[in-house]
Amino acid sequence: MALVDFFQQYPHRRYLMYGGKGGLGKTTFSAATAYYLAKKGKKVLVFSVDPQASLSDIFERDIFGKGNVEIMENLFACEVDADTRIQAYQEEIRQKIISMYGMKKIPEEIEDYIRASSAEPAMEESAIFDAVVDIVVKGDFDYYIYDLVPLGHALYYLSMASIYDAWLEKITALREQMKEYDKAIATMKREEDTEQDEVYNELMYIKERIGNSSKIMTDTEKTAFFFVLTPEEMTIVDTEKAAQLFARYKVPLSGYIVNRVINRELLKDNIPTYLKNRIEMQVGALEMIDKTFGSSVLSAVPEFDSEIKGLDVIRDLAEVMFEEKLS
Amino acid sequence: MEEKKEKKKKKLRGPLGFIRDFTYGMATHGMARHALKQRSSMEHLFILITMGDMLGIPILPPYYSLRLLPHVVPQITTWKRRMLREKDLMDSMY
Repeated sequence: MALVDFFQQYPHRRYLMYGGKGGLGKTTFSAATAYYLAKKGKKVLVFSVDPQASLSDIFERDIFGKGNVEIMENLFACEVDADTRIQAYQEEIRQKIISMYGMKKIPEEIEDYIRASSAEPAMEESAIFDAVVDIVVKGDFDYYIYDLVPLGHALYYLSMASIYDAWLEKITALREQMKEYDKAIATMKREEDTEQDEVYNELMYIKERIGNSSKIMTDTEKTAFFFVLTPEEMTIVDTEKAAQLFARYKVPLSGYIVNRVINRELLKDNIPTYLKNRIEMQVGALEMIDKTFGSSVLSAVPEFDSEIKGLDVIRDLAEVMFEEKLS
Repeated sequence: MEEKKEKKKKKLRGPLGFIRDFTYGMATHGMARHALKQRSSMEHLFILITMGDMLGIPILPPYYSLRLLPHVVPQITTWKRRMLREKDLMDSMY
C-alpha cells in the first residue's frame, strides 16, 4: 500500500504521528503530510511539544509559544512551550489557594512544595500530554499531526498512564470510603447531608484527562502512527524493537516510511568509492527492511540534495511522498 | 423559606429537642467521635498517598497532585506533625 492510499482508505484516522529516532525526519514528514492534506482542502494542525522544536525552522517562522499560527491556507502550526505552561499552571494553583482561604501569602511549606514540583521527574511529560489533550479536544481541525517527542518519552508516558490509572482507582476508592464516613457522621449528628467532595471531583477530572491523553495515542479508530527509518542496519534493528514496545501499549502502528534513500542509478556513473559504498550498504539495508517490514512500508523517500526548509521544498517532498503533483 | 426552616429547628429545641440531644449524648456521641477520628485518619492517609513527596516519599504524578493541593492546605500542618510523630507509620494508617 502507498501512503496516499492509506489516507483514502482510513479517512477517520485524524490523529497522525510520526515516530522514530532523533534526526531521521519526523518533523520533515509531519510538515510534508500537513502540506499535502492542506492542499487537499483539509484543515490541518501540525503541532510539537518538543522544547527544541523544529517546526519554526522548517516553516521558517518563529511560532514557539505563539498558539496556532497560520502557515498557509488550511495549514496551521503550533509549538507548545512546556516550561511556560508549567509556570502558568503553578501560578494558577497559587491563586486558587489564596482565593480559597483568603490568604495573603502562600504558607512556606506549601510554596516549597509547589516550587519543587517543577523539578520532579515526569512533571514535564505530564504537562506536555496534558497540553496535547487541550489541543486535541477542541476539535477545530480535520487532521492533527503530532510531531512527537523522541520515542522514549512517549513510551514512558504510556507506561505511566497505566500506573496512574491503577493509582487513581485506589485513591478514588479511599475517597469514596471517606464519603461514607461523612454521611454516617452527618446522620449521627443529625446534620444536613454533607457537601460535595471537591477532591473527589478533581480526581474524576484527573482520571478523565489521563484517559484522554493516552487514548489519543492508542485509539485504533482515529490514530495512525508511522515509523520513520533510514536504510541503516542499526536504525532498522532499533525501529523493530521500538515497534514491539509500542505494540505492547496498543499503539495503532500503521506503517513505515523510509527516508534518505540514495538513488541507485548513480552506480552507473563514475562516482567516488565513498558514495559507491554507501549506496551498496543501503541496498543491503533496504533488503533487510523489506524482509522485516514487508508491505507495511508505505513510502521510500530519496535523500534530497538540499535541506528541507520552507514551503517550496516541503512541497517537493510531499510530491515524492504521496506520488502526486501538487500545484 | 430559610427563615421558616430556622424557626422549625428552634421549635424542636423544646423538651423534645432536649430528649433528642440527651439520647445523642448517651448513645451516639461516642460513635460519632470514633467515626470522626477514623475519617481524619483517612484524610491523612489520603494526603500521604497524594502528596507523599512533601515528606520525601515520592509517590506519583506531581502535575496532578498539584491540582489536589489547594483542597488539603488546611490539613497539611497537622498531617505532617502526625506523620512524623507516630512511631510506626503503619499504626497511623488504620
